[in-house]
Amino acid sequence: MILIAVALVVLPHGLSFSQQEILVYLVINILLVVSYRLMTLTGEWSLGHVVIMGVGAYTSALLTKRLGFYVPVSMIMGALMAAFVAFLLSFPLFRMKGFYFLIGSFASAEIIRLLWKRFREPFGGPKGLKRIDGLPNIDIGPIHIDFFEPTAYYYFALIVVLVCLWVLWRIEKSLVGLTFHAVHWQDKLAQASGVDVRRYRTLAFVLASGFAGLSGALLAHYIGTINPNSFDVEVMVFVLTWAIVGGTSTFYGPILGCIVLTILNEIVLRELGFEQMRPLIYGAIMIVSILFMPDGLESLVKRALARWKSAPPPPNQPEEAKP
Amino acid sequence: MNLKSMITGLSRRGFLGSVASFAGVSTLGASLPGRALAADDNVIKIGFLAPLTGAVAAWGKPGLDGCQIWAEWVNKAGGINIDGTAHTVEFVSYDNEYDPAKARTGATKLIREDGVKFIMMLGGDTWPGVMPVAEQTGMLFSTLLPSDLSPDTTTLIAPAEVHPVYNVTGVEWLAENKPELKTAVMCAQDDALGLPSVATYLAAFEAAGIEMLDEPLLFDPATTDFAPVVTRLMSGNPDIICLDTCYSDYVHPICEQLFQQGYKGQIISCTADFYDQMIEKTSKEFMEGFIFQFPDFDDPAMEAEGINFKHANAFYAEYAKRFPGQWGAVSWEYAAVMDLWKAAAETAGSTEPDAVLTAMLDDGKGMHAFGEADWWGKDLFGIDHALVGNWPVVVIEDGKAHVKALKSIPAWYDKHGELLKKYMSDYGQMWNQRT
Repeated sequence: MILIAVALVVLPHGLSFSQQEILVYLVINILLVVSYRLMTLTGEWSLGHVVIMGVGAYTSALLTKRLGFYVPVSMIMGALMAAFVAFLLSFPLFRMKGFYFLIGSFASAEIIRLLWKRFREPFGGPKGLKRIDGLPNIDIGPIHIDFFEPTAYYYFALIVVLVCLWVLWRIEKSLVGLTFHAVHWQDKLAQASGVDVRRYRTLAFVLASGFAGLSGALLAHYIGTINPNSFDVEVMVFVLTWAIVGGTSTFYGPILGCIVLTILNEIVLRELGFEQMRPLIYGAIMIVSILFMPDGLESLVKRALARWKSAPPPPNQPEEAKP
Repeated sequence: MNLKSMITGLSRRGFLGSVASFAGVSTLGASLPGRALAADDNVIKIGFLAPLTGAVAAWGKPGLDGCQIWAEWVNKAGGINIDGTAHTVEFVSYDNEYDPAKARTGATKLIREDGVKFIMMLGGDTWPGVMPVAEQTGMLFSTLLPSDLSPDTTTLIAPAEVHPVYNVTGVEWLAENKPELKTAVMCAQDDALGLPSVATYLAAFEAAGIEMLDEPLLFDPATTDFAPVVTRLMSGNPDIICLDTCYSDYVHPICEQLFQQGYKGQIISCTADFYDQMIEKTSKEFMEGFIFQFPDFDDPAMEAEGINFKHANAFYAEYAKRFPGQWGAVSWEYAAVMDLWKAAAETAGSTEPDAVLTAMLDDGKGMHAFGEADWWGKDLFGIDHALVGNWPVVVIEDGKAHVKALKSIPAWYDKHGELLKKYMSDYGQMWNQRT
């Protein structure tokens, strides 16, 4: 853990400027995809998660632009608004299950997105919002932190995301999290045992949406602009891809998917000179990875861990060191 | 060896290990210090930050291809002369996928890692992501979409096209040459590109005395089925159907639908990229008389006196040889911007952004591709950073685009400017209305 913490602190200093920018987006996207996984724990896959992220982004941006809210406060408000919108959506959506829920989530998300487009006031219409306030700089004596710089924003986003991941982890490991699993795998049995399945699905949806909203707010105050296309179904496909390629049976699966695919798409393929062929190569690699790793990248880690645990001790190990 | 044995023969662990090592080495290589800024002093790097993949790639990729030809020609002719020293020019591209976040990353890379002296963009949705970078670094940027201009950013210029204002020339020519056409309808995608163009066409139609039969039909950019759109457009039996500034992904299916639903009237559009493919999908007769705004550069009119784009016919021939069937609206535009930049840099004796910008704007005039033009735009964009002069009206005749006239945008604006401002204002497109 200490090694990981040191690596996360040192990481941006070993990267180029553009890679630092990508690192900021990566950290934000990790929160997005892990929050998405929380929802999938109950067995429902949504196509509206990115739009919910947008709700957080728009709310936070509007609160700072129009009402002069302090940015960190508006970010929290953005998360709360995303959770609230999810709560409202849960009434019609959780009358559906499975494929119908998937389509329903897509339709409701599109309605929200089209409202952003339709109403120039206050959402800015198709052009969206720009000149969104960034995180205010910090000047304390000789210390000056400019959050326009990717490294500074990375540390801020990293702290926020790590706290969120810890909360998400605790939720999953709590009784509530176990009930989410039960709702997914044994919903009839859970219902027979007195579990209000719909309530737990709603809870997962609302919690996941709150964290997605926070990721949207983090993004909006970094780029300084958002528009309805920033949260369209194409972006949702990327989130699904990260989750599927990484795997969703472990907490770290989607994180792995997000990291590996982002590095591949944004750094490796660009640096290798395949800039214009990236969609083609990215698609091909996805097909290959699904063929070779149907359980996602997390299955590699699981196998490696299993092998490591079952490996015999080295022959020259002293007898007394053995358990 | 059959496919199965090939797959089996390739060890999964080996394969994944190789991919991982490959990725790791590549990533490490990308971040090695010194690599990015190690530049030849006699090479001027120019950034090209536009969509090269995705739905809007048609307005990025052909421009980069055109720039490569431009660079080869300029370098072969001795390069760019800065203070008596010849410099070669090299383009560094970054695919922003029409995404503001990626555009910001790209701008950062081009400025801080590649050391470019000037960045050309398509603009639009991607500009707000780059704007803070421009303001922090003072880098000179160009956009093809002057609706990005505002007094807030003084290092952004629109020297190639004043989209969508030049669309007025097509309507003006239509009214002069086909006065019997009196009614029109219009459709456009509901986005940052479509709406200012809608306002412009509405002003142009009103100025030309052409009646709009219906409100402009705004469709969602995600639309793929254009049959209902076209049915509604045709329902009022208009003389003219205007396709506004639709992406080629919309213009083509709309034209196909118009053909299939038996439309016989006039079509006017901002662009007709890859119109040969449209003719294949419809017919030569159907496309006859189609009016748009972007000439093929093999047109003899492009070699006429007053045209500043050098060797336009030869440029088109070279482009067509290298990239057959890919000539589009932007194939020449970024190269034309480079002509202006080169002239300004040579005048300034410097490639530094502020010096080049000062030289460019110096006397309020510039050598636009289609003739001498004025730096203009305070009314609409809040800053005189758009180069405006003549613009061609192009008509498809016998399956080929022909320039029918070069018409003056300032002359139209002098007469009908208030009308344009009114519609721009109605659609929230004035610079001070942007949120």
